[in-house]
Amino acid sequence: MSWPSLNLLGQAILSGIFIGGLYGLIGLGLGLTWGLLRQINLAHFGFVFLAAYLSYQMATEWGIDPLATLLVLPPLFFLAGAGMQWLLARFEITPFNSLLVTFGITVVIESIIQGIWTADFRRLETHYNDQKFTIGNFYLPVPELLTLLLSVAIAVLIWAAMRYTDLGKALRAMAQDGPIAAAFGINEKGMSLMLAGVCAALAAVAGICLALTFTLAPSQIFAWVGVVFAAVMLGGLGSALGPLVAGVIIGVSEAVTMAVTAPSWAPIVSFSLLIAMLLLRPDKVGR
Amino acid sequence: MNKTVAAILATGALMASVPWLGLPAFYESLLYLGCHWMVLALSWNILSGYSGYFSFGHGAFFGIGMYTSAGLSGNLNWPFLWTLPAAAALAALLGIGLGTVVFRVKSVRGELFALLTLAITFVVGTIVLNTRIDGGPGIYLNAVAVPALGPTAPASLYLMALAAAVLSLLLAYRIQYSKLGIGLFAIHDDEDVAEVMGVPTFAYKLIAFGVSCALAGLAGGIHALFVAYVTAGETFNITVPLTVVLMSVLGGTRHWAGPAVGAVVITGLLYYFTAGNNPVAGRAAVGVILVVVILFMPNGILGYLGKARRKRSAPARPAAVATAAPAPSAPIAQVALRSSEVLLEVRGLSKAFKGVQALDRVNLQVHRGEILGLLGPNGSGKSTFINVVSGHYEASGGQVIFEGHQLTGLAAHRVAHAGIARTYQIPRPFAHLTVRQNVVLAAMFGGARVSQRVAEHEAAQWLEFTGLAGKGDALPDDLNLHQRKFLELARALASRPRLVLLDEVLSGLTPGEINEAIDLIRKIRDRGATIVFVEHVMRAVMALADRVAVLNHGKLIASGPANEVMSNSEVVTAYLGAAHA
Amino acid sequence: MTLTRRLLSIAAVALGAASLVAGSALAQQPPVRIGSTLALTGPLAATALTHKLVGEIYVEQLNARGGLLGRKVEWIVKDDQSKLELARTLYEQLITSDKVDLLMGPYATGAILSAMGVAQRYNKVLIHHTFGIPSLAKYDMQFPAWSLGPDPANTVPNTLFDALAKSAKPPKTIAIVTSKFPSVHFISVGGREVAKKRGLQEVLYLEWDFGNRDFGPIAARVKDAHPDFVWIGDIGLEGNMLLDAMKKIDYTPPIHFHVYPAPGPMTKAADANHALALTIFEEHAPFTNSAVAADFVKTFNERAAKANLPDTHVEVQAAASYTAWQMLEAGVRGAGSFDDKAIAAWLHKNKVNTITGNLRFDGPSNYGDDLMKIKQVQDGRWVVVYPPQFAPLNVKLQVQ
Repeated sequence: MSWPSLNLLGQAILSGIFIGGLYGLIGLGLGLTWGLLRQINLAHFGFVFLAAYLSYQMATEWGIDPLATLLVLPPLFFLAGAGMQWLLARFEITPFNSLLVTFGITVVIESIIQGIWTADFRRLETHYNDQKFTIGNFYLPVPELLTLLLSVAIAVLIWAAMRYTDLGKALRAMAQDGPIAAAFGINEKGMSLMLAGVCAALAAVAGICLALTFTLAPSQIFAWVGVVFAAVMLGGLGSALGPLVAGVIIGVSEAVTMAVTAPSWAPIVSFSLLIAMLLLRPDKVGR
Repeated sequence: MNKTVAAILATGALMASVPWLGLPAFYESLLYLGCHWMVLALSWNILSGYSGYFSFGHGAFFGIGMYTSAGLSGNLNWPFLWTLPAAAALAALLGIGLGTVVFRVKSVRGELFALLTLAITFVVGTIVLNTRIDGGPGIYLNAVAVPALGPTAPASLYLMALAAAVLSLLLAYRIQYSKLGIGLFAIHDDEDVAEVMGVPTFAYKLIAFGVSCALAGLAGGIHALFVAYVTAGETFNITVPLTVVLMSVLGGTRHWAGPAVGAVVITGLLYYFTAGNNPVAGRAAVGVILVVVILFMPNGILGYLGKARRKRSAPARPAAVATAAPAPSAPIAQVALRSSEVLLEVRGLSKAFKGVQALDRVNLQVHRGEILGLLGPNGSGKSTFINVVSGHYEASGGQVIFEGHQLTGLAAHRVAHAGIARTYQIPRPFAHLTVRQNVVLAAMFGGARVSQRVAEHEAAQWLEFTGLAGKGDALPDDLNLHQRKFLELARALASRPRLVLLDEVLSGLTPGEINEAIDLIRKIRDRGATIVFVEHVMRAVMALADRVAVLNHGKLIASGPANEVMSNSEVVTAYLGAAHA
Repeated sequence: MTLTRRLLSIAAVALGAASLVAGSALAQQPPVRIGSTLALTGPLAATALTHKLVGEIYVEQLNARGGLLGRKVEWIVKDDQSKLELARTLYEQLITSDKVDLLMGPYATGAILSAMGVAQRYNKVLIHHTFGIPSLAKYDMQFPAWSLGPDPANTVPNTLFDALAKSAKPPKTIAIVTSKFPSVHFISVGGREVAKKRGLQEVLYLEWDFGNRDFGPIAARVKDAHPDFVWIGDIGLEGNMLLDAMKKIDYTPPIHFHVYPAPGPMTKAADANHALALTIFEEHAPFTNSAVAADFVKTFNERAAKANLPDTHVEVQAAASYTAWQMLEAGVRGAGSFDDKAIAAWLHKNKVNTITGNLRFDGPSNYGDDLMKIKQVQDGRWVVVYPPQFAPLNVKLQVQ
């Protein structure tokens, strides 16, 4: 184990923060539907990747700037998310069942992606890939920075909305006790459609960021499930800031491990940390 | 021998004859895959489906089994069959070790437990990848001899998996209908109440986890030889944990055979779409089928079939309760009306919740055979008193002595075994168990601790006693508040307690219902139980209580005969505030 | 499935009848059925599609030339979904239920090992395309199309360092960063030892878990170590991700070698210019001097474009795949029968002329010569740079 230079450590921590931000961004929508709608929505990952591929398509084939796709794709996915929620609500799905249904939907999405874009790797090459900011000796590449900023901004926005707006309070009430909330005039059906739509739109944003920073392949959809689930569960279901914080914790602990010792040990540090937190301070974990 | 057990064994024997039927060998491998997933799904369900402790880490134990067998047979040249018990044992050991630590932490439930088990998978996988257990290259088992159980190697592997599947089915079935299973289902619905009813929740969870992990390890061990090339990347990922959940949910998690059905269906589906043309369309079709099936069968395949069968059969079950005898035969306890013998003594009992002193050095004695009313304004600590005495909460200080034995600090289920029962102010029945099953459970696990058959008999009597005889097969959700309160009573009484703690059992009842309840409570005491009841309905207090004790801000401020206490000035102030005039 | 088979059999019979009537010399017998699985879905699907295309091309061309021993060839391919247990089961189905005449190998080392076990049990000859761990190939009727040589952990690094030694700036310090993926890891470990023997100073050695997403810290460590040369033990996307991460911290390694990169993305990425890798075939002379190879390249380019593949070039995977089919054809013709033992015996004793070279199979684990060459990305294309006789005119190993 070689002692790394401060430079190296700092850059590694930055790297961990960046990827933690992406974990948080992907996990945000997942955590909200899990906590507030009691659904374990695996299709969220399908939406993320579908948005990523669509953004790739729009940028490479039709020359649209990927940042512009941020205006186009989220509204489209809002509709898709609300539509899926409408379907699930009609059938009164329990949390476990939602896992199964959304898994099926994800498989369908994966197949569609493979059908259109083949199983080969697709990398969105844009001029953003070359751009970076430097602060002292540290590099802040633009795509990653953008992802982090979006992640933080959206998380804070949603946190504030949940806390301070009537809409947010209504959502939380609905999550805690649906029938009682309805008795107070809260339109459960409408709210859940809206929430599902928003979370799908969030998935689209995450997908665009993913396309900017990673190479895409259909089989990668399930590769993110483990770590994002961990971030969501650690951060607290239904929490807006939780997945971001948890994601950053996971990302940074792994990055520091990789800087200091053999990178192949990285998962053990992040997940042991997680286990320790769960056992020693469970009250700090979750909501 | 039980019919179901015989059926399982017979089917197993029948399926074991397949290798000798002269079919093409690949059928055995296909059947192997079905059995393999059956074992994994069934074992997952024993913990997660029955008790509700959703584990996302089944892959870790499966992987431990795989690597144990691979390492022992591939690197240390053990004969393969000997590696299987080792695989199961090691996996179970890790599971039990983990459970011993985790199950003690009360708040690690639900998704936190899922997270923990998911994290374990990655931790174990990383350890395996980075140490000499694997280190990177994987373990290749082509030199390991397949035990000659069948005419060919695939046949032998199939027979091993078949044996494991039969074992898993038997265990799943036996557990579901055993005391362990009933306890697990109670834990699923409300773990804290189960513990208070006498279910040794910690021990039961550990046993379920151990069995679950052992079977997963066994499946892994056999699988190591089936694939013959074991690598960390293939083993420790999210595929196994996710797939077993899907299979169990598809088949139905509340039925012992559900996961097996789900395993067969999904394995069949995946296999059906292996033709080389249009593989992508095939995969999409699998997804669509899964979606459609679960949308129309939300309780899983077996849940759906079960409901259909219940609808078709005769709607009204003839009352199993035979006689019209109003009173159950045996008395609750040796009747010693209003003796001066001290049944329960509480000395200096304190309970603090992060700065709020809910109970403050309370000294109180309860005499055998009396009805003691526990009164006080809201927030005075009455419910906390019941919670601490029954073991629901741990005391911060002081002692609880019952029939001369120290109960302080004991786990709630031991308190229940000692002969104390309680009801909840807001009824907390086990939502997925029927009314009868709720009462049966209390009889089986509570102070009486009778066998299941006797418990059924008991349950019938207590349902009769509380007027719920016709509702035995209903679910608690179908009852109104009055009936649910009486279910609480029936549950409390079924364990034949010597001390019954009633927490505002009359709240929310109509005047007529209150009269009924008062009568019932008197009858309960007449049959030998001592009662401590928390109540706000004064006329009930006056009618029932021999003595009354008043709490205020966690302190005992008065105790004695009802009239005396109620005219005590401190009590009046506590309830009504200081006199101004 | 049964229906398809029935239809095919009926079609075959009808064809036979028609040709009898027409007096043609073709197919009076049922077609020769060759069975294999490929990872058409799942994580390995990207590369498996290449193998499917090559197989289809080869079988078409073969049938146009008259088939095998006068019989039409039919290729039955099943989807093993990138799962080892399914690969094994499907090979058993192919042999015992579909009763194919001959086997062709699946994609990727793990699946090939599974198939090998099955082939061994039924004494079928197994020719496979890209198998990464020669020491594990213990079945004597298996034949590798990819001439990695029996000891790649030694030969690959030596070839590479030979090439580097003859370059304009031979490196003195080396950083080795590698995935722990089985078929890559042992070669990187071998590379480490060879580097030491050849006097290169190792300034960094680290391994990452296959599935790692964050390459930032690793890139930072490489940059910190200032190596003359970086050996990257990558497979699939990892190399690209690492180069990406390096670019983000303004670092370009002077010379970098990749073990098993995904070829297409490597040519497209700007920061991958001058990346080195292994190859047995590239789309230029002298490989394309043979008419067979040139024709195959052209056909594959067209088919791949039609199949919407982002990269339509023939490289290691496609070439090895084609070689495997060539071996199968040669084996059958040489043995004069479809008997597996006869084919194996013939292959052991003879050489097969393929687009990747003149192959022999009489070495350890039936591996023959080490035919690996070093290629480099130059101007968005892969070109061989070493040994020089396989490089295009005026192409040399370029260093930054």
